[in-house]
Amino acid sequence: MNANKNIQDKIDSTLNALDTLNSVQVSPFFKDKTMQKMFAEKQTISKSWSWFTPQLQLATLVCVVIVNVYAIRQIKSTKYNEAISSFASDYGLSSESEASLFNL
Amino acid sequence: MTETDFIHQLKAQNRASYSKLLEDFQHKVYGTCLSFVPNREDAEDIAQEVFVEVFNSIDKFKQESKLSTWIYRITTNKCLEFIRKKNAKKRFAFLQSLSGNDYNLDKASYFTEINHPGLVLEQKETSEVLFLAINKLPEAQRIVFTLNKIDDKSYKEISEITNRSIGSIESLLFRAKKNLQKTLENFYKNQE
Repeated sequence: MNANKNIQDKIDSTLNALDTLNSVQVSPFFKDKTMQKMFAEKQTISKSWSWFTPQLQLATLVCVVIVNVYAIRQIKSTKYNEAISSFASDYGLSSESEASLFNL
Repeated sequence: MTETDFIHQLKAQNRASYSKLLEDFQHKVYGTCLSFVPNREDAEDIAQEVFVEVFNSIDKFKQESKLSTWIYRITTNKCLEFIRKKNAKKRFAFLQSLSGNDYNLDKASYFTEINHPGLVLEQKETSEVLFLAINKLPEAQRIVFTLNKIDDKSYKEISEITNRSIGSIESLLFRAKKNLQKTLENFYKNQE
């Protein structure tokens, strides 16, 4: 009984331990350090991407689209397929030549 | 100057406004950080991260809450992020905590070295036991208990920071106290 009361007293004292917490002050250099960090990050970000203006971004996008359209057209064109099949037959890579190999 | 004007100046990255923001909030934010992470160096690093986050995210602030509430929300999230990272590193006895009977308040498994500048010397040992016990609480209970009992925030402030109703805050606080009582009871019983 006495032991239980003792334990409960300890628990109450622990739960109230932080009621007497003193007020805290951050270090005097905190403000300057933080200001420096905030504005240094801003400068780094702006410096590294400042040359990539919206006009340049649009021009890059247009270039990428043009190159892609050109590439797709080349792949789809009959000339390209003809060139591939003649290349394949020259080096014996066409399906017809493979079939003849198995027939041997 | 109204809060809206002040926020506009912050959005414009005005140096003087950030200087004022730091003047107004640096000690409060540091205090809240210390309530969650009772180590002066760690708390200072987190407080610095909070202000950098405010600087980087002020454009996303929609003014649906007060500026102070938004800053405390960032502070709480940064502290929890820090604790989660540190706890994950130290969770070698995870099976014990999974069983739900982990009353071992071991200082070595705590996420940081307890070094709170506001602790009264006579209460240092009992305060440390309380910090260790708080770390065993589920996250929602830990947030509410820390903000109310250590950081001295009102139910209304906690309700705004956590986006919960006052009823829910009261219920979480009740459960946190009950769980702390259970943890501390087992701890002191094992000590005898």
